[in-house]
Amino acid sequence: MADRLGKRFGRRWALRGCSLTVPAGAVVGVVGANGAGKSTFLHLTVGLLDPSEGELRVLGGRPGGEHLGRVAFVAQDAPVYGSFSVGDHLRLGSRTNPTWDGHLAERRLAHLGLDLRQRADRLSGGQRSQLALTLAIAKRPELLVLDEPVASLDPLARRAFLGDVMELAAEARPTVVLSSHLLSDVERACDHLIVMVQGQVAADGPVDALLARHKVLTGPRRDVRSLPAHLSVVQERHTERQTTMLVRADGPILDPSWIVAEVGLEEMVLAYMATGGGREKPLHVAAVAP
Amino acid sequence: MIWLAWRQARAELLVAAGALAVIVATLVATRGHIATTRAEDLSTGYKSLQLLGTALIGLPAAIGMFWGAPLLARELELGTHRLAWTQGVTRTRWLAIKLGLLGAAAAVVTGVFTLVFTWWSLPLDVGGNRIGTANFGQRGIVPVAYALFALALGTLVGAVVRRTLPAMAVTLVGFFAVRFSVQLLVRPRLIDPVELSTPTTMFGSGSSASGSGAWVLTSSTVDSAGHALSSSTADQLMVETCHLTRDSGDVAWARCAKQVGLHDVISAHPASHFWPLQIWEAAAFGVLAIVLAALAVWWVRHRPS
Repeated sequence: MADRLGKRFGRRWALRGCSLTVPAGAVVGVVGANGAGKSTFLHLTVGLLDPSEGELRVLGGRPGGEHLGRVAFVAQDAPVYGSFSVGDHLRLGSRTNPTWDGHLAERRLAHLGLDLRQRADRLSGGQRSQLALTLAIAKRPELLVLDEPVASLDPLARRAFLGDVMELAAEARPTVVLSSHLLSDVERACDHLIVMVQGQVAADGPVDALLARHKVLTGPRRDVRSLPAHLSVVQERHTERQTTMLVRADGPILDPSWIVAEVGLEEMVLAYMATGGGREKPLHVAAVAP
Repeated sequence: MIWLAWRQARAELLVAAGALAVIVATLVATRGHIATTRAEDLSTGYKSLQLLGTALIGLPAAIGMFWGAPLLARELELGTHRLAWTQGVTRTRWLAIKLGLLGAAAAVVTGVFTLVFTWWSLPLDVGGNRIGTANFGQRGIVPVAYALFALALGTLVGAVVRRTLPAMAVTLVGFFAVRFSVQLLVRPRLIDPVELSTPTTMFGSGSSASGSGAWVLTSSTVDSAGHALSSSTADQLMVETCHLTRDSGDVAWARCAKQVGLHDVISAHPASHFWPLQIWEAAAFGVLAIVLAALAVWWVRHRPS
């Protein structure tokens, strides 16, 4: 899907050397710290931005152009036109999208209890997000991209929103890509994960495969450079006698002096976010406990 | 898509249509009185209606500020471009349709206003001057070209500046800078002015060229050999030649000037140059408008976020 993708704003690279593939029908979570390049990546996939280098293929072609009708996007903060009524937004969708499903949209809004005559700037944050999601869903997209869709919602609205996304994913089977820094939401909703750190893809793949490959090792204090080559350290912590580290294991861990423990999704992602490094050069810098 | 363009511009277009209707009604209602009354007998109320011509100068700037500048700047400012540009219509087409609708509206509003105002002013323009800088921009077809130029300028500035208020300010300043630079530096040279030789008007006699409906660019008094003279040298020359004194009447001075061979050399655009100048200037602003609109489309295609 993306090959050595890069995007530069002025002299700053927001995204560099990103290569990854997302299988059709997956629900993909894009996680990372603020400024890690999540939004840039999503804007590239929906054609709002053009790559500065590398190649990006979405649904078998370049984003934008005639692909616009097959891809739906809900931008951060769910922008809608304040002076438009809810009904005007539906009309906007129907007038600009060839595959528009008006019945679906109206049914959904009725179910949510949104009045078609209500002006959009009088909606609550949750209602606005739901309106934006309705516009996106009624396009009957093959790819649905959501940029921080739940960031501004209270926990209840968040749960309802993600529930709707999940329901849609189960029914119409579009590929869903959503970014979030709420890891528990991602864990609940996604079966595929992209971890972004400082404009690079630090890890990506199916959630269970990623978790299976990452282990926490605890053992007597030692230098991480003595590890076998197939273990790369994501995060390490040393006390006087003991070393604890989170590693990505591309092979079996044979050394019996390590106590090997499974890792949770949140723990793994936080470890990557704390390193601030990319995949190409596994970093050996980490927090060292006193 | 046309529905969306209309829905977003609805409020502005209705305001413009309402204002235009009021202005046209006022002008039509007062035209009869203007046509049947001598200009010097008109009451100040009627004369002040001529100030609508000033509104006609400001109208293109207003179109650039209130229609052009927010067109992209407001979307970019509020983030709604991310909604609009991810629907099934490419943003090139989106912008082209919006510019088409607003451009047509701007042309109609400015065109109708100018047409009605030109017609209303006909009785006042008789024996007057419509090619001079005061009236040229309120007559004919140039106001329409100004409006289209202002709309395209505002749109491009909005795309680049990305904030509505600064974009409006830049558009206002930019529009008038270009508009008056052209008036001052370009318009006189659009077609070659005519060189005229007339009896000198130095002594209050003779017919002034601007009175005959010409736009005088330069005027100088020369002697029979064609050398330019300042008024004091001319005075001295005539005092010596005709033995005139301060008390001699204007008629004597004028007769002497004729005898000595003093006359005015004038570079001017006669009234007959009105339409050629209108067409050339309108074409220039029309081309500018197209170039700026194309730049705005290019910018939106390649420099978004």
